[in-house]
Amino acid sequence: MIVELFILVILFLLAGTIFPLLAASLDRRSIRTISLSSIIIASVLLCGLSLLTLFSGEPVSFALYQPLSQFSLSFVIDRLASFFLLIIAVVSACVALYFTEYIEHMEGQSRRNLLCGSTSLFILAMVLVVASANTLSFFLFWELMAASSFLLVTYEYTHDETRKAGIFYFIMTQLSSLFVLLGIIVLYVLTGSLVISPLSAASAPLATVAFLLLFVGFSIKAGIIPFHKWLPYAHPASPSPISALMSGVMLKIAVYGLVRFLLDVFTPDLWWGLLILAAGTASAVLGIIYALKEHDVKGMLAYSSIENIGIIFMGIGLSVIFTATSLPLLATLSLLGALFHSLNHAMFKSLLFLTAGSVVTATHTRDIEHMGGLAHRMPVTSALFFIGAVSIAALPPLNGFASELLIFMSFFTSVAAVQPLFKVLLFICLALFALTSALSAACFVKAFGSIFLALPRSPECAAAREVPRAMLIGPGILAAACIFLGVCAIQIFAIVGFSVPLPDMLLVSLLLMGMAALTYALLYFTASREVRVSETWGCGTLSQQASAEYSGHGFSEPLDIIFSAIYRTRTTNERTFFDQKNCIFEKGKGEIRLLKVFEEYLYNPLAQQSLYLAGRISRFQNGCLDTYLLYVFITVIALIVFLGWFA
Amino acid sequence: MNLDFFLYLVINTIVVITVSPLFVSLIKKVKAWTQGRQGPSIFQTYFTLVKLLKKEVIYSPNSSRIMRVTPLVTMASILVAALFVPLVFVPETVGGIGNIILFLYLLALARFFMALAGLDAGSSFGGMGSSREMSISSIIEPTTIIVFAALAFVFKTLNIFDMFAISVSTGSPSPSTLILIAISLFIIIVVETSRIPVDNPETHLELTMIHEGMILEQSGRNLALMELSAAVKMTVLMALLINLIVPFGLISALTLAGILIAVFLFVVKGSILAGIIGLFESSMAKKRFFQLPSLFAMAFFFSTLIIIIEVFS
Repeated sequence: MIVELFILVILFLLAGTIFPLLAASLDRRSIRTISLSSIIIASVLLCGLSLLTLFSGEPVSFALYQPLSQFSLSFVIDRLASFFLLIIAVVSACVALYFTEYIEHMEGQSRRNLLCGSTSLFILAMVLVVASANTLSFFLFWELMAASSFLLVTYEYTHDETRKAGIFYFIMTQLSSLFVLLGIIVLYVLTGSLVISPLSAASAPLATVAFLLLFVGFSIKAGIIPFHKWLPYAHPASPSPISALMSGVMLKIAVYGLVRFLLDVFTPDLWWGLLILAAGTASAVLGIIYALKEHDVKGMLAYSSIENIGIIFMGIGLSVIFTATSLPLLATLSLLGALFHSLNHAMFKSLLFLTAGSVVTATHTRDIEHMGGLAHRMPVTSALFFIGAVSIAALPPLNGFASELLIFMSFFTSVAAVQPLFKVLLFICLALFALTSALSAACFVKAFGSIFLALPRSPECAAAREVPRAMLIGPGILAAACIFLGVCAIQIFAIVGFSVPLPDMLLVSLLLMGMAALTYALLYFTASREVRVSETWGCGTLSQQASAEYSGHGFSEPLDIIFSAIYRTRTTNERTFFDQKNCIFEKGKGEIRLLKVFEEYLYNPLAQQSLYLAGRISRFQNGCLDTYLLYVFITVIALIVFLGWFA
Repeated sequence: MNLDFFLYLVINTIVVITVSPLFVSLIKKVKAWTQGRQGPSIFQTYFTLVKLLKKEVIYSPNSSRIMRVTPLVTMASILVAALFVPLVFVPETVGGIGNIILFLYLLALARFFMALAGLDAGSSFGGMGSSREMSISSIIEPTTIIVFAALAFVFKTLNIFDMFAISVSTGSPSPSTLILIAISLFIIIVVETSRIPVDNPETHLELTMIHEGMILEQSGRNLALMELSAAVKMTVLMALLINLIVPFGLISALTLAGILIAVFLFVVKGSILAGIIGLFESSMAKKRFFQLPSLFAMAFFFSTLIIIIEVFS
């Protein structure tokens, strides 16, 4: 049953990939709709499949194809895999639904067919990565995922910005693959097999090397600081539904990889947990601080993804720490928090990216300073974005809160258990975690306020209209999921078979609604019911001007100043003069620029070093036949000596 | 849900709504006395609320649905948060009501809506208030969570109901911890309820106002709700301090006489605390906005001290 369903999913996704490629030159809507529909069907099937295994809890393993005796394309769908398959399924279905309409508003005529095809391929690759039972096929599909996502990012390749983002993304994602591959090779050296199976305890030092390699590989893909820089480039450049897929799902695949290898392969040391926790905390805090400064709506969402992945890593790190200090209950609690936050982040971040895409389509700008007043013009989109914003700001009773609460709880209860020194460390991380979630509330007040409230700040924005229905239904399903996962969190955990110490959010939501209804009723019977719409006092101005509004920039100014140590700026001042005594001014240039710390102090020096090295190596390649003959000769001699020595 | 708990919901809500305006007036009265003025009557806040309820509501033409739902949502979430802190009667908790983190985030929910409403009409006053409020609340958050974590650590529970039950039955922890908890919670009250030196609740000058700036656009019954919810929020935070530090009079079995005595004792204790807050405010000057982080750092220090004392003792 499960196997047949899984094959059916693969076939539908393959059909979605191949069909638009066959008709690549035909610019017909029907072709794209058929391709996207097959994605939707595959997602629905995948959803059913993953729910079946999630509830039954019995792992299903099967091999599809065995080219070598050592290696087969075999798959395992256990609870962990099916959980991540569920994330892929829900988000893909909503994104594909949204895409059916969105793609018709895009440029590129028949090239759009290819976009559909690569989207389908991308989803297929992610499904196969998650289901892979051995390391080699895990890596192969990981590469397929990287390649297909590169195609998606560079869809609008005619823009310079997109090309630059695409290359940046490609290099980072290949680095990630390189580290994953090295990690897998070390594992193969250790065990001599490709199966994802537990390591024996004896192989400690090499196991640590393997873990570090895999950790770096997954961190690059997940966007953990300092490997995060591709996110704020790739997301604004790619089409919004693709951003939703990449941020909502692809980052989670990296999380899946980390969790899978930590649970099934390694027996983690305490300091691994500390490393993951530290990386997570740094990403969470810095991610949201950078997000506050960002005025490109998609760039801001990208930074906020870094923050949320940081939170997920904090949960995983805590879980590793508790496992290593033999506190299994707390370990489960924090791992559940991390996994639940992965699911929740997939829901609300895709929702936010999709609605941001609608806003960008309607206003033709990504700069939130040029938006405003869209709550009147796009009422449904604004309501959907609002639900996403409340979720991501971790406010009760929606889902972002439920998962952050789990992680908070594991912090709070952990302190009674571990050694004094760790307690202090955990308290520091807890304080930073609290700062993160409060800042994310500030960030999304700013985002929602600047985009949807007050007066429109550009003529395009004033002329914006609500988007077509398909672009509302897709995000609508995600918004419903956000509410459901938050309000019924404890019931969901109970059904899956975990009892978590969460408060009953259903009761809290009922109380909230009851109190609101009570207040409304009391006011209705006691207070005056008169309402007037009129100009309110604006300090003596005759009417409100959009230019006098509080801008997004102004909103984050106090936090800018408080965190000015992190937002480093560089001031340059160049002047030239007509005379030698520097008296008669000719021209000059003054500039205050936000310093891109990681790019200027980490990425660029590394890139320059590798360019320099590559330059040295390329000297061997001089294009002269004699030299190459010499190389061959030296190689042969070296081989003979080597074989004579060792064989 | 049992009968006791249902009665608790009713009693707690009624008590908190009736006594909160009194504490607000008391603080004003104390501040007036220290300035050598007579000051308004201690029932003035009740009169103001009744007056506001009779007035019409004016919405700016730019404002959206956010403006219209914010007073209701704010009131509802503050009232639910009030249920998390028993004022006079501690029942058995039901369904995790009383979770200290959820309590904190219910207050954050109200703040989120208020800040959006401040931005809604597009006036610069509202925007300024929202921006400052969100900034301050962000940087006080690490302190608040550490104080709450310290409470959870000291009382070995995450639930406010259980904390109160412990402090009533077995008495509080060591006096040194108690003093530090009291200082930290006091600072949190001052910050969360927008009092001097963080904010000045008396003025509508753009230089000082934070909370008042955010609700400048509100009028009529909506303003009444905002004012009342701010008062309730203050009472609830005061109750958290009072019932942890001086819990006597708090009852855990429901009797009519017990309730009346408990309410009376709570009003007395609350009035004393309100007096202290008033004196504290009168003795301080409003701090410049960007000096606030250093104040918060001090609060952070006190709260970390609790933990360090507890961890290493």
